[in-house]
Amino acid sequence: MFSHLEITKGANTGLAPKEIHPAILVLGLQFSEFKICGANARCIAALTAFQKVIQDYKTPEGMGNAIRHLKWEISTIDIEMSDDEAKKLLCEKIDNFIRDSITVADRVIVEYGLQKIQDGDVILTYARSSVVQQLLLEAHTKGIKFKVIIIDSRPRLEGKKLLNCLVNAGINCTYAFLHAVGFAMRDVSKVFLGAHAFMSNGALYSRVGTAMVAMMAKEKNIPVIICCETYKFTDKVQLDSFVMNEQGNPNDIVNISTTLAPKPGLLSEWLNKPDLKLLNLLYDLTPSKYITTVITEVGMIPCTSVPVILREYKPMVQ
Amino acid sequence: MTGPRDLNAQIESLVNRLRRRQVVGSWCVSIETAMLLRQVVSATRWNQVETLIKVVKEDVGRRLVMAQPRELAVGNIVCRVLRLIREVYNSEDATFDDNSAEDNDKDSNTDDDEKDEEIKSKSSQKIRTFSFYGGSGTGTNTQSSMINLLGDGSPMGAKRASVDDYRKPPNLKPLIISELQEMINELENTYVNIIDQAMEHIHSNEIIMTVGKSRTVEMFLKTAAKKRKFSVLVAETFPTYLGHEMALSLSEAGIDTTVISDSAIFAVMSRVNKVIMGTHAVLANGGLISVSGAQMVATAAKHHSKPVVVCTGLYKLSPLYPYDEDSFNDLVAPDPVFSFNEGDLIDKVTLLNPYYDYVSPELVSLFITNTGGHPPSYLYRLINENYDPDDTDI
Repeated sequence: MFSHLEITKGANTGLAPKEIHPAILVLGLQFSEFKICGANARCIAALTAFQKVIQDYKTPEGMGNAIRHLKWEISTIDIEMSDDEAKKLLCEKIDNFIRDSITVADRVIVEYGLQKIQDGDVILTYARSSVVQQLLLEAHTKGIKFKVIIIDSRPRLEGKKLLNCLVNAGINCTYAFLHAVGFAMRDVSKVFLGAHAFMSNGALYSRVGTAMVAMMAKEKNIPVIICCETYKFTDKVQLDSFVMNEQGNPNDIVNISTTLAPKPGLLSEWLNKPDLKLLNLLYDLTPSKYITTVITEVGMIPCTSVPVILREYKPMVQ
Repeated sequence: MTGPRDLNAQIESLVNRLRRRQVVGSWCVSIETAMLLRQVVSATRWNQVETLIKVVKEDVGRRLVMAQPRELAVGNIVCRVLRLIREVYNSEDATFDDNSAEDNDKDSNTDDDEKDEEIKSKSSQKIRTFSFYGGSGTGTNTQSSMINLLGDGSPMGAKRASVDDYRKPPNLKPLIISELQEMINELENTYVNIIDQAMEHIHSNEIIMTVGKSRTVEMFLKTAAKKRKFSVLVAETFPTYLGHEMALSLSEAGIDTTVISDSAIFAVMSRVNKVIMGTHAVLANGGLISVSGAQMVATAAKHHSKPVVVCTGLYKLSPLYPYDEDSFNDLVAPDPVFSFNEGDLIDKVTLLNPYYDYVSPELVSLFITNTGGHPPSYLYRLINENYDPDDTDI
């Protein structure tokens, strides 16, 4: 069923072609071992690595909108410009992109999001989204009294980092796993989720399990609010989680410990059993009917307006 | 009224084992409870049926239920035994009356007496062979009650109340014990009856999703696998990891099994053909008390319009109604969720780890039981046939 999807095997940098810049090798290794998690973090890390690469004048590789933007910048550089100037200009453009599309965008999203958090709210969030984290911290700084329920899931367990961060800031938190989402959902007033990408048909492509949380919230008529920067919008359309996805390391399912020390469980011999397979999907698709609104740096839009935003901003990217 | 010493010891032993959760699993609990109640009926001294009912319900039944209130199967079996006792008594009472001239039907008219008794004596022949889950027992009740309705307009319960009479028809005890033995045999054959239906519901090249570990579903799928080729997706049900055990067991039987993490359930649901799951208990409205995570699976299946089939023996059907969903749930130790090793965060955080999930009846398409397939809307009939409303307060 999933044979069309590649499994990310452990990266072996010894096999990489010698022309690739070491910064990119490090980046690739970090990605494959999930040392850097989250769409924004990966994007910033990639772009920073590219800056280094540009300094050393090698050709970078691709990453969606950001790269398209970068290529466009490169392509519009005046041929007359000297190499040093061009490199400096490109690095500056990358810095600007990070600043505009990610850092400042996040701040604008937080500003909009604050309008949606009131005293007495019980907010539910899933795994760890950097924007949602910033939003909750900012709301707490502003003195709004609210509670947070963090839903986490195996095998990534990203919610723990969010939990650490929020508890250290003094926010009243509850932590539960995905199986408890029906039980935890009864007191919730709003659900805030992050995004990895947003498709043109209004569907949200995000960490696996997000669709489940959005569906359970919809069942109980709780609003689902997505915080997403516009650079994540894409003109691809996708109908289900199968068409395009990533598989993680299946051995993560075998390891049954929730702490750092891995503990192999019952399935440790799965490779020897011909009829037993493990599937570790990384992303899933949330249909647009489960999403109430999307907060972006250009405002709060319904998820069906994603292609409109792309059209408006396309001239800048192209 | 207390029985002999070793009967007391047996009761104590089961109570303790229930309390310490040494008897685990609704099926084991049901069989042990049924056998203990058979002992109680045979070893206790009783002259009137009312005394026996009091012993079973209050002395023994209530103690067993209190020992482990989450194990609804105990209460179910006690209720069944009480219903059985009453029905045997009622049928014996009918034949007993035919021989004596006394009128034991409080509300019936004198005109209809002879008519009533003729019909009762004919129909009571059928009672001896009634199966516990079958219809002829109730058939008699409805038949006599319909005659009553025609006769004097009295309501259906006229026969049921007659255990207030202080007579004991002679051969009640062996009859009750033989009926109890039949019930125990049916309990022991529960799985056989369920897995016989496997071929009707599973077809070749289907992708079936299951959640948690259920002995019934395991046997169901293994039986179908003998003749059909299909695949199974098992959700791992963290934190109990029951899904891992289930997957190992299924793959050893040669079924193509894939383990997925709970978060991927929605993602894969579009490719699944049906969801088959077991349950801990079935409530009176058709709702399920099932392993935590089942509600997610059932809701995802509903959103993708996939049928949800629940395989369960009828001994799990409880006459209780979920006025408050939480009364059937347990929050267990949060250590698997967030262990003490993680440090000082423990004090500042609330951790939730519910053991069960309530699945509402709208999400279930079919119950496959040892008496056949039933929709959730039919369960009230089964409850009417097998339990008395007086007993739900055990």
